[in-house]
Amino acid sequence: MKKMMLTGVAIVGLLFVGCQDTVNTVGNRESSMQREKVDTSRVSTDSFINRRLKIERVDKKIKPDGLMLVQVTAKNVRTGFFSEIGSWFMGDNPYKITYRFSWLDKDGMEVNTAASTWIPMTVIPGDTVRLQAVSPNSRCRDFILSLREDSE
Amino acid sequence: MNKKMILLAGGMVGAAVFFGGCGTDPHRIDTSGNRGLTTVDDINFKDWQMTASKAINSLLASGVLSRQDGRKTILMISTVKNSTSQHINTKILTDKMRQAVLRSGKALTTTAISGSGAEDKATRQVRKLEDDDMFNQATVQKSGTAIAPDMSLAGEIIQQKTTLGRKSESYFFFHLTLTDLKTGLAVWEDNFEVAKQAKKPVFGW
Repeated sequence: MKKMMLTGVAIVGLLFVGCQDTVNTVGNRESSMQREKVDTSRVSTDSFINRRLKIERVDKKIKPDGLMLVQVTAKNVRTGFFSEIGSWFMGDNPYKITYRFSWLDKDGMEVNTAASTWIPMTVIPGDTVRLQAVSPNSRCRDFILSLREDSE
Repeated sequence: MNKKMILLAGGMVGAAVFFGGCGTDPHRIDTSGNRGLTTVDDINFKDWQMTASKAINSLLASGVLSRQDGRKTILMISTVKNSTSQHINTKILTDKMRQAVLRSGKALTTTAISGSGAEDKATRQVRKLEDDDMFNQATVQKSGTAIAPDMSLAGEIIQQKTTLGRKSESYFFFHLTLTDLKTGLAVWEDNFEVAKQAKKPVFGW
């Protein structure tokens, strides 16, 4: 009886793992790019998203025309046996997020932009995404990236 | 018979109350959020916003609006051709782009000329006042002072529909170009895609 139960649990486990759609990536080891890393305190996330989507790094670049280009690298860390089963039951596989960039001038005032809107995105477990934005003008000094789960 | 009629009427009233209770009152939604309606055959407002946001980021990141001589680029909005089966107003996209370009400080946009005639006819109208005695001629705008554009923003929106069984799909392809009017060469081009899918229920619509 116990054997049958264990076999049943194993089959159910394998079934769910089989349903998990993960991404495997490969890249060059010797990286030649030069990036300016910035403090990640400018990224705001809720506690749920923190456990699912890891902000790996935030980079910025001031272009020759004075506009700021930012890139936030995030990885869906809901991989592995238990996370996969958990994320399957939680319905967050593949994980849907929505994000928005806001821009601040040197006085901390928000800069109005025609491009500011929540943008939905799907992140497959194990995948790394790079969220990019360009400042609306050269007076922008700081940015805030807001991330939330897309439950709508 | 009467009992049956009463029961039937009661059932109908009950059903009406039940289904009537399923509706929602009209309410406002956040235009920057994702609660807008999503339909397969149309470009919904969120699609416009996402496309505009991506296009603006791409255009500003390219740096093509900046000039070496320090003068600001003058941009005109040409025609964004609608090659979809829907009646859409492409100004939703081009207006967002021209606002972003203007706010970037890298270029100025002209309203005196566009793909579908002048955006603002006043630039031409005020020059007709040169023959009008009612106006102080020293204050009338003279001919030959309006500034011609350096670049033009144009594009096309294409829709491809696919149906398989109860599933239907629409693929919208936005193609935008920025042309240097001196040379006729495209200095920036980009594509933006929106794909939507729905499955019809077995019963109903």
